[in-house]
Amino acid sequence: MNAKRLLHIVLPLSGIALVGLVWLVASQSVPDLPSPLRTWEESKLYLLKPLEKRGEMDQGIVLLAYYSLVRVSKGFLLGILLGTPLGLLLGMSKTLHRMFDPIIQILRPISPLAWLPLGLVIFRKSEPAALFAIAICSMWPTVINGAAGVRAIPQDYWNVARVLRLSPFRTFTKVVIPATLPYIFTGYRLSLGIAWLVIVASEMLTGTPGVGGFLWQEYNSLIYAHILLATITIGVIGFALDRLMGMAETRLRVT
Amino acid sequence: MAFIEASAVSKSFGTGPSARHVLHDVTLEVERGEFVSIVGFMGCGKSTLLNIITGLVPADAGEVRLGGDLVRGISQGAAIVFQNYSLLPWFSALENVRLAVAAAFPAWPRGRQADHARRYLEKIGLGSALHRRPSQLSGGMRQRVAIARAFATEPTILFLDEPFGALDALTRANLQQDLAQLCSSAERQVTTIMITNSVEEALLLSDRIVPMTRAPRATLGRPVGVAMARPRTAAQLLHDEDAVRVRTHVVESLTASVHRAPRLPPLIKSEASDASDTPLIAVPDRTEA
Ligand SMILES: Nc1ncnc2c1ncn2[C@@H]1O[C@H](COP(=O)(O)OP(=O)(O)OP(=O)(O)O)[C@@H](O)[C@H]1O
Ligand SMILES: [Mg+2]
Repeated sequence: MNAKRLLHIVLPLSGIALVGLVWLVASQSVPDLPSPLRTWEESKLYLLKPLEKRGEMDQGIVLLAYYSLVRVSKGFLLGILLGTPLGLLLGMSKTLHRMFDPIIQILRPISPLAWLPLGLVIFRKSEPAALFAIAICSMWPTVINGAAGVRAIPQDYWNVARVLRLSPFRTFTKVVIPATLPYIFTGYRLSLGIAWLVIVASEMLTGTPGVGGFLWQEYNSLIYAHILLATITIGVIGFALDRLMGMAETRLRVT
Repeated sequence: MAFIEASAVSKSFGTGPSARHVLHDVTLEVERGEFVSIVGFMGCGKSTLLNIITGLVPADAGEVRLGGDLVRGISQGAAIVFQNYSLLPWFSALENVRLAVAAAFPAWPRGRQADHARRYLEKIGLGSALHRRPSQLSGGMRQRVAIARAFATEPTILFLDEPFGALDALTRANLQQDLAQLCSSAERQVTTIMITNSVEEALLLSDRIVPMTRAPRATLGRPVGVAMARPRTAAQLLHDEDAVRVRTHVVESLTASVHRAPRLPPLIKSEASDASDTPLIAVPDRTEA
């Protein structure tokens, strides 16, 4: 039991160490790629004073992450606010599904890099354009999972609703919502993952402060260690977000 | 004219060579206040017939009338106990029943709805498991919740699809008594159609028993009345002359249908051939895997 638990900690750590090793080797042969140690030396300031604000982009890592997280939350909320009802509707109506499924399949693979310029054209400001791109890129898993969840409701439950003569509203709140909740939450988790992917691209293009904006600016200032700092930060936060949503998801699953 | 009338009902599933002609020309009449049991082998189309009578599923041919009106969808005052309980897993026992009560008596205040639901659960012996989810209940307890849910709506028509099918013999006997009690204590006149695969269960509870022949092309055999006084007990059924007569009739109709099967025109080759050498009562389960 204990050995097993140890393995759970040791194996992932060895994996990380191995990747670090690859990084170290690569940094020896690629002249511009900073080694792990140099990355640490040059990033110390941002990590050890995570809340210090020195300039618009020159801020502690926690502050930068906070800006990005706020932006991502807004875009994600907008996305699921649109995506949840859309998904449920598509799941309940075959006609609507036939009508909108093809266009969704076409819109879904469009990259945030393509949506952003369109957002800038429509909204003329970088912030709403970024939210637009995050929302429209991240809503699809919610739509698709919501629809799949409704379609997966067993006939038994529909029969119960009919036999009890539940009103459409009651059927919706007492049967459809609880039955699809696990699916919807899986959709939310995937959507949040995408929203976090989009944040970097949108901050890069719009030049707003945040982890992605910081990354792009440091690249332009030729401080390559900070690119790595930002990259690792993005990964760690993305991982944490996914874990949080995963926990919410398992708590919701009805046994 | 009978209260419930199903006339010349037929039903197939699928089309083309894979079609399964389940019900063929089924006719059934049930008087108001009567308790009728339909007895048949596994997979012979009992649930299909009940679903058509309740209005959950449309028939291919024939019609069902209730009080003279064509049945379209679930009728007001009807309650169904499904073969597989069909409780909502995200609600507790009490919430499952309360949802039914709220839908049946929307004018009542919430407190009264909850009290009513609780009373029916207590009546059937679940007073201590009110707040447990279906997944935390045993099969027998789930079945009780399903029965409480049906009775709590104070139905005038009750459809029971093998309400005790999944239970062990002891639990089954207990619940049969509870059901008999609930049926007789109801102040209203309740018309009941029960599906069962147990002749004894049918004898215990019904006014009339209808045997159902085997699938494919199942139809109903000649009904037989059960005149014994109530309440009936299992012991009494063993020796009662009337019970012996009814049992013989039902078992003979059922087994006759097994013998008759190979002589039917082979609608679908495979089905006709695999029905050809089935033994008498020990018929294998014909439901699809
Ligand atoms: N929706 C469906 N689609 C295809 N075939 C079906 C469908 N429902 C039932 N059948 C078939 O019709 C036949 C009768 O099914 P039904 O459920 O009515 O039997 P049953 O008498 O209630 O069986 P059991 O005693 O096992 O409950 C079965 O062979 C089944 O495979
Ligand atoms: Mg059945």
